[in-house]
Amino acid sequence: MMSVSSSFAHMGIAEIHAGLANKEFSAKELTTSVLSNIEENDKDIHSFLEVTPDLAMASAEVVDARIAKGEFEQAGILAGIPIGYKDNMNLIGTHTTCSSNMLEGYVSPYTATCVQRTIDAGAIPIGKLNMDEFAFGSSTETSAFGPTLNPWDTQRVPGGSSGGSAAAVAAGLVPVTLGSDTGGSIRQPASFCGVIGVKPTYGMVSRYGIVAFGSSLDQVGPFSRNVHDAAVCLNAISGHDPLDCTSQDIKTDFTVGLDRGVEGMRIGYVPAFLEAQGLTPEVRRKIEEVIDKLREAGAELVEIELPNAKAAISAYYVLGPCEAFSNLARFDSVRYGFCDPGHADMGGQYEASRAKGFGDEARRRIMLGSYLLSSGVYDTYYYPAQQVRTLITEDYLRAYEKVDCIIAPCAPRTAFKFGEIADPTQMYLADMFTISINIAGNGGMSVPIGLGDETGLPIGAQLICPAFKDETMLRVAAALERIYGPAEVAPAFALNSDKE
Amino acid sequence: MTQHLTESDVALIAEYTRIGMTPDEVARMTVDLNAIIDSLSPITEYDLDGVEPTFHPIGTLSNVMREDVVGESFSQQTALENAPKQQDGQFLIPAILSDGGDR
Repeated sequence: MMSVSSSFAHMGIAEIHAGLANKEFSAKELTTSVLSNIEENDKDIHSFLEVTPDLAMASAEVVDARIAKGEFEQAGILAGIPIGYKDNMNLIGTHTTCSSNMLEGYVSPYTATCVQRTIDAGAIPIGKLNMDEFAFGSSTETSAFGPTLNPWDTQRVPGGSSGGSAAAVAAGLVPVTLGSDTGGSIRQPASFCGVIGVKPTYGMVSRYGIVAFGSSLDQVGPFSRNVHDAAVCLNAISGHDPLDCTSQDIKTDFTVGLDRGVEGMRIGYVPAFLEAQGLTPEVRRKIEEVIDKLREAGAELVEIELPNAKAAISAYYVLGPCEAFSNLARFDSVRYGFCDPGHADMGGQYEASRAKGFGDEARRRIMLGSYLLSSGVYDTYYYPAQQVRTLITEDYLRAYEKVDCIIAPCAPRTAFKFGEIADPTQMYLADMFTISINIAGNGGMSVPIGLGDETGLPIGAQLICPAFKDETMLRVAAALERIYGPAEVAPAFALNSDKE
Repeated sequence: MTQHLTESDVALIAEYTRIGMTPDEVARMTVDLNAIIDSLSPITEYDLDGVEPTFHPIGTLSNVMREDVVGESFSQQTALENAPKQQDGQFLIPAILSDGGDR
């Protein structure tokens, strides 16, 4: 009989802070319990690639020392909160592999700004989380170190690319994690695992220290089991960083207004999205139900059109690979990364190292990007894709003249089985509803809205907001949370689980 | 399906991107890339006359300047820590100017 999950598994930031402040438990006790819970239960889902017990215990001691001195209030907004990071985020002294053989053994010589900001806010770094290789994928099946399993059904994928970040939160291993989202890599796994996942507006969070994929698309954001925790985490990580010139000076407190409800808000929905080919009936029914419930809660629901959103996937699979091709040119087998030994010439070393270091999907995207940027082809795909980007952005701007926020499906279906989708172009459709938000640079998030009536698996609703108005989607998310409840820990990992 | 790329095109791209591939891998990659490029066709079917491109979601970005003062940076040792091969405090690569190889 396996022991049940730690009693901390269900706790969010508010409960942990209350427990610490009232001295019901110490940060060290909390951390010890979290680490043993991971030891016990993560082997079932493989969400962590590396656990950092020494770093975690040292951070916990700092928090406990401050509590002992009566300084808990000053210990930071994430004081004592266990947190995990997607493995494309540098944390000094830890391995940062991007789930690729190319970076196996790489040890970060510095720390990403978003990671540092959580640590500065008192968070307890627990470890690094599995992902699709270099974030190329929607299932974590492309991880060179084996996939992560969905805590709701281990026959199924957790989504991706931030699959480890979503699964760890869904299994109650940690209350908060960070992921990154280039075309849906936070929102789609959040939907598949039934947790909250926020892709903030492009420019909200510094990407310094995140291994770059699509530099005009990448954004960092939190996973959590309740909306308040995501907002607190955003407060910690957002704002200008001199080391990422796209990061903007944000002074918003994202926890303000969460309790305001949706009365008087104008929320848009796109009828064409609900008719989209590939959207399963159970997801459609759920989204229609959410639209009704938001109307009942006092929001004005407005039909809107995003006529060019249908070109988003093809625009993305032009822009993403082109940017990835440029970014992955840095893996040269000389300064860091895998080097195939025994080559007498530089060219041979490059070719063998990159051939053995990169997996199939990484190779496909590098080669596709190279082709699309080549002379003659550039004018057929790359330049038009940037023009389509203008059309998609203008669609959203027109919609936001009529509405404050948009509700849409997040993923077209619930979690699929391992190996079920083998064709890359079919896999790309997993992000059909999320990609246009990255193209336009808006904010988007997934909120759990219960289980599908056919598959019994989690479904997420996607909320989309104008650039730098992320508080509006969080406000709607909080209203949905009052209707549907916060995210549940997956049944097999829940406190009273009878898992054997 | 349209044949956008032949196997010899793909072999050239592999050379250019410095990814060594066997003929079998080139053949499989050719099938995959042609299917993916086919799926990009909506981009080529738009009337985009007069539409300005958006290269970046934040259109108002401009160069950020600062005083040219020395800040904190990696030591030579730190910069070399992840190097697969190093010698005398420098990255070691196969000889590129004359015959030879790793010493």
